[in-house]
Amino acid sequence: MKIGKKIYLATFVNLGLIIVISTFAIYSFNQISTKFRFTVIADKLNASFLEMRLLEKNYFLYGDKEELLEIRKKAQETDVTLNNMRAEILKAVGKDKFLQIKEFLHDYYKLVSLGIASNKRDIQTRTKFRQAGHKLERFSEDITDLGRQHVLEIIDKTSRVMGHSLWIVIIFAFLFSLFIVRTIRQSLHRIVDLTKSISKGNYQKIDTAPPANEMGAVIIAINSMAEELSKREQAIVQSRRLASIGVLVAGVAHELNNPLNNIAIIAQTYSEVYDQLDKAQRIGFMGQIEEQTERLQKTIKNLLDFSKPKDPQLMERDINEVFQHSLELVQNVLTVANIKSRLLLEDNLPDIYVDEHQFQQVLVNIMINATQSMKAGGELTVRTNFIKDKDEVEISITDSGNGIAPEFLDHIFDPFFSTKEDSGTGLGLWVSYGIVTKHKGRIKVNSTVGQGTTFSITLPTSKKFKEYANGQL
Amino acid sequence: MANYSILILDDEKIVCDMMKLSLEQEGYEVESFLTGDAALKRLKEKKFDMVVTDLKMKGIDGLEVLRTVKQLYPQTSVIMITAFANLDVAIEALREDVHDFFPKPIKIKDLKESIRKALH
Repeated sequence: MKIGKKIYLATFVNLGLIIVISTFAIYSFNQISTKFRFTVIADKLNASFLEMRLLEKNYFLYGDKEELLEIRKKAQETDVTLNNMRAEILKAVGKDKFLQIKEFLHDYYKLVSLGIASNKRDIQTRTKFRQAGHKLERFSEDITDLGRQHVLEIIDKTSRVMGHSLWIVIIFAFLFSLFIVRTIRQSLHRIVDLTKSISKGNYQKIDTAPPANEMGAVIIAINSMAEELSKREQAIVQSRRLASIGVLVAGVAHELNNPLNNIAIIAQTYSEVYDQLDKAQRIGFMGQIEEQTERLQKTIKNLLDFSKPKDPQLMERDINEVFQHSLELVQNVLTVANIKSRLLLEDNLPDIYVDEHQFQQVLVNIMINATQSMKAGGELTVRTNFIKDKDEVEISITDSGNGIAPEFLDHIFDPFFSTKEDSGTGLGLWVSYGIVTKHKGRIKVNSTVGQGTTFSITLPTSKKFKEYANGQL
Repeated sequence: MANYSILILDDEKIVCDMMKLSLEQEGYEVESFLTGDAALKRLKEKKFDMVVTDLKMKGIDGLEVLRTVKQLYPQTSVIMITAFANLDVAIEALREDVHDFFPKPIKIKDLKESIRKALH
């Protein structure tokens, strides 16, 4: 579910809860006010009854008939009040209690009417009066108390229910906020990891199961960006390879010209001496022509192999062999530029995981750069050695060229940085840097102006590489 | 035809062999070498009438051989052969008093013609 939708839903749930609680509160207050209005009425009734009792007492003390007439008037008034307040009283104490009090009042009224007619003040009459009056008074007090108690109960219940409901709303809101924050944070972490990994040039590690929310959409966008970047980097790598070929071709022309020349010379000599040759010698001449064509084929194949784009493929290889193949490619360029090569390759190096095709490009690129810095010829030293305590293989290429100015050293692996005024896209070393990093290796440069430059590449042995891949390092 | 002596220097063995065979057909006395070192060593021992050398080689190159020959035996003619049809190199070679300059692939007929002109 989308995060926005979740937030809307939770807000609606919370709103619903608040509406329910508010409705309950309004209902409760209504009830309280009803009950409270009843207690006001009950108090009034009580006062009337007490007044009637006082008049009753006075009548029996002094025998003034006026008192009885007054009681009757009061009783009639009270009955009117009861009828007027019927609805409130019914709501507060129910129909039974209402009828009962009416009955008690009626009984009392009857006694008063009888008293007016007979004018009796004997003990019997007095006891009857007292009993009926007492009943009325007691009952009235009882229902007043009951009303008050109801008010208290409702207030209690309301405050309890509202207190609990508020807690539920608060807890729900809190848990929901926590949940949303967690969801967003988790996704943000994934996005940060993803972008970090991409910025390191690791375009393969795309997020395969993006969540189905807004963050997922961001992850999907980043994934497709990584794919695009990967395609573009491949294009740059290929264009660099083609640029290297431009330089290699000058050397390759020499390498092609020599066997062609040989074939030409063999053919010309063959025609000249044909008559003096026996069958075996003639076959020998032809064999030599064939040898030269094989040499041509090999040169062309090397160049084609180097120029063809290939999918990256890591294999366990002996770095010395990779080095030798790269040297074969640039050998003619070195010869043309009058550069001597010196190989100091340590024997029995542990294998490394390497994409030979890509790595050749790194070595060829560095060696061509070296050649271009030795315009007047010089010496190129290539070295390999095993660093046992780090379980790494170090490869270094040293030239005796012009060197690189210190202010440029920090930038030579930057894209589009070039010190070559006329040629150079400034991508060669940047591409090399990327390739070495993908091999979990490091590349660094040391240079002294006027003395030369050394590029060193350190690569983990295949054993260490596997540990990297398994996440043990 | 007098027995003129010719030294051939090329790091391609097949070139040495073929040129030797071909020039011997013409009655020249031919010695061939694969490295500048070996050729210079022999040149110090013996004067040749003609030196045919490749220009670009590992170690001592054709220009160095040319200079040594001209220093030791100013009369000896030098013919330069190279796979690089590069004008700058040709100019430099000619300035160093080279008799002729052949880009690869060479025509043996032309080479022989050039040698004949130089020696006769």
